[in-house]
Amino acid sequence: MSEDLQIGVSKEEGDKAVTVMRLKGSLDANTQSELEAKAREAIDSGAEFLLLDMSGVDYLGSAGMRAIHAITNLLSPDDPSMRSAKLKILNPSSAAAKVFKTLGFDSFIDVHQSVDEAIASL
Amino acid sequence: MLLKLKADLKNLSQIRDFVADTAADLGVAPGSLEDLRLAVDEAVTNIITHGYGGPGDIELELGVEASDLFVRIRDHAESFDPSLAQTTDLRPPGERDNPGGYGLFLMRSVMDEIAHRKIETGNELTMIKRDVVLNKIH
Repeated sequence: MSEDLQIGVSKEEGDKAVTVMRLKGSLDANTQSELEAKAREAIDSGAEFLLLDMSGVDYLGSAGMRAIHAITNLLSPDDPSMRSAKLKILNPSSAAAKVFKTLGFDSFIDVHQSVDEAIASL
Repeated sequence: MLLKLKADLKNLSQIRDFVADTAADLGVAPGSLEDLRLAVDEAVTNIITHGYGGPGDIELELGVEASDLFVRIRDHAESFDPSLAQTTDLRPPGERDNPGGYGLFLMRSVMDEIAHRKIETGNELTMIKRDVVLNKIH
């Protein structure tokens, strides 16, 4: 893993298989594959829903957005209509929120302020 | 300010920091630094992934004209005009499998002008952000 991005992974207890991934650092063309790999690992281990905490993301570029797009495909490969519903974003930093909004992702992926709020929406 | 360097995905964060620090030194308003980091990152990423297909030498130049900041990036890659790249598909993930064009869309959204020209040794991309220089130090 590069020093540019740290990814903390934890599973939430409850009825649904929810995994929270806390990102710290830059999500760019150099680190996007690390996020995709961690997400794939979590999904292979049974995660049905992913919450991406982006409060610690100091840089988000198009490569990071492609990774997020790819993860939605991984979460629901057989039912495209459910793809956006299984991934939620938590507390994006201002830099991340701006790119998210510019590319229109905020219109189809929910953004929440807390883990509890995000889980309640699932 | 001119920087010659080996562009590599591994040093994108250093390139972004150089751009923000240099722009700040040139008097660019703090609120515009994030936009410049984004535009240069996307442009350099394009050069590495689409131009060279890997790491390669670039020249990165930042300067001020009146109250505008310009960024000029030269490479030695095959000719690649970003304005001819595919259009951006912003439909939701459920409606498409392979996203594309995000980088150029972001560059256009944060910069006022983007121009490509083929030069003898490769490509030259010039990006301008208007009315962002608060005080001319240089």
